Amino acid sequence: MIRIQGLTILFNPFQIINLDINIETGSFHFLLGPTGSGKTLILESIMGLHKPKKGRICIGEREIQNLPPEQREISYVPQDLALFPHLTVKENILFGMRTRNLNFNLYEGYIQNLIEAAKVSHLLGRYSDNLSGGEKKRVALLRALAPKPKLLLLDEPLSGLDPSIKSEIQGLLKTLHGSIHPTTLCVTHDFEEAYFLGDTITIVIDGKVEQVGKRDDVFLRPRSRKVAQFLGARNLYRAKVLKKDEDYQRWIIGMNNLQFSVPFSQCKHSLGLGKEVDLFIRPEEVMILREGKPVKESLKRNTFKGEILAIVDRGIFQDATFQTLEGKILFEISIPNYAFRNLGLSVGKVVRAALREESLWIMV
Amino acid sequence: MNFRRTMIGAATGLFLFYLLLLLALFSQIQGKKGLEILIHPGTLFSIRLSLMAATGATFLAVLIGLPAGYALSRFEFRGKRVLDTFLEIPMIMSPVALGASLLLFFNTPVGELIQKRGVFFVFDVPGIILAQFSTIAGLATRLMKTSLDEISPRYEAVARSLGASPWRAFYQITLPLSLKGLIASVILCWAKAMGEFGATVTLAGAMPGKTETMPIAIFMSLASADIDKTIVLILILVLLGLGALYGVHMTGKRKKYD
Repeated sequence: MIRIQGLTILFNPFQIINLDINIETGSFHFLLGPTGSGKTLILESIMGLHKPKKGRICIGEREIQNLPPEQREISYVPQDLALFPHLTVKENILFGMRTRNLNFNLYEGYIQNLIEAAKVSHLLGRYSDNLSGGEKKRVALLRALAPKPKLLLLDEPLSGLDPSIKSEIQGLLKTLHGSIHPTTLCVTHDFEEAYFLGDTITIVIDGKVEQVGKRDDVFLRPRSRKVAQFLGARNLYRAKVLKKDEDYQRWIIGMNNLQFSVPFSQCKHSLGLGKEVDLFIRPEEVMILREGKPVKESLKRNTFKGEILAIVDRGIFQDATFQTLEGKILFEISIPNYAFRNLGLSVGKVVRAALREESLWIMV
Repeated sequence: MNFRRTMIGAATGLFLFYLLLLLALFSQIQGKKGLEILIHPGTLFSIRLSLMAATGATFLAVLIGLPAGYALSRFEFRGKRVLDTFLEIPMIMSPVALGASLLLFFNTPVGELIQKRGVFFVFDVPGIILAQFSTIAGLATRLMKTSLDEISPRYEAVARSLGASPWRAFYQITLPLSLKGLIASVILCWAKAMGEFGATVTLAGAMPGKTETMPIAIFMSLASADIDKTIVLILILVLLGLGALYGVHMTGKRKKYD
């Protein structure tokens, strides 16, 4: 277990105050935050390049915050990779083993597996200048993993790559993590990357931890409007708690004369009547109902009639802007292409939209 | 006026100016006499002394300039700006003034103590090395800092995360990566030390057979109207300097790593 407790870093212009992160051994933890939120500074402080003002960093029972970087057993892959250009790929990969005087015989099988998994065996004699972007990333990753670090730090590992290479490196990270389980802390602003690879996620905005949790907890159940906005939430509304329906275990939330029925499970908090809350409607969980088709009982509570105002083709799906006839509330609805074709949607068409229970989330 | 031609014209004009000076030297030297002067023991002594003193001064300048340049390149510390500014002193101070300052320093109790208990600098060979060192140490630090600046500190950071101590990260990563730049810095400093006159003549004097470096020999031979010797010495100095600069240009074609 890696425990970072009360880490406070003051490094003009960044301020990180009382950062707490716990990373289970062998898990892939993401530190997710907007560009310029001090994520790299946090990594470099954990690595030992910056001295934190206060706080503890523990690997197991061992406190490391006062140790120099070379004694922390933490490997680091910076954003620019910093492959040593005067060394061959093989020398780069073995650098950490040589500096730590590790017995190569004991590591031979492990290194060989890494090399094969990353498909770099044909590159071993080359210098980094003669490698492609994807090859460099793979070599940098192997160099960091070779000495079996207690913690692997990755700084935006997929930045600056073509989509195909990005997917390849993502796959490699997933494979390596699945096979050798290095405890990993990765910083990124790319939440798709975090969603694909992360077991747990810490959201840091403006130097403060906004939410910590398992991947789905963070992505599906953001704690605040700030987190939801950072994660790209599009349908966010200010609404009021009108009623607590104990019989059906639901909150009745009102907005512009419309009422939404939200299960208790879709809110982490206990709400008082009349309280102002943030309502998040997940666009991909909203259904457009086919005309004449009977509506399930569970959907009836949150079915609204409205007009399609605009349609944007996103390639793999369509984004429709929908406005309720009553209350004039605008939603964005993401519709799979096949459903879009079957429904025969067009701008100006009046349809019924049903909000699945999973599409609603209340934040305080 | 054509922009490109004007710019290239300025560069060509400057080249022609220096070429004219060199041609003027060649036009006034007689081959046989030139050779006699070249192999004269006094000339050979000056060449040997200059080579030895410049090499010694450069060695000392690198010894202090490399860590100083590294500190200025990599670390933030109190007084860094003051220190950085002071390194420019030899560049803004006349060499004669620098030599005079050294001479006056050895007139203080501390200076006298050093001379009595340690090495005798005034009007002696160590004085040449010290004068040349004083002139080039700041330059060496500045040039080495520039070479080190070109190498991203992230290489060292990664090396340290992989278990290398700061020393090991320096000599296994930063030093090889900046080596060409550092060699170019050494050559430039050596060439400057070879041509140093003002501080040397002030501190070490101009004693034939003792402290007569090549620039001092040029001054002395010119003062005694020995034009042939002056020309031969100038040409040797120019050739050595050009050789050194060629070395710099060769190392200058280095690859940037970051």
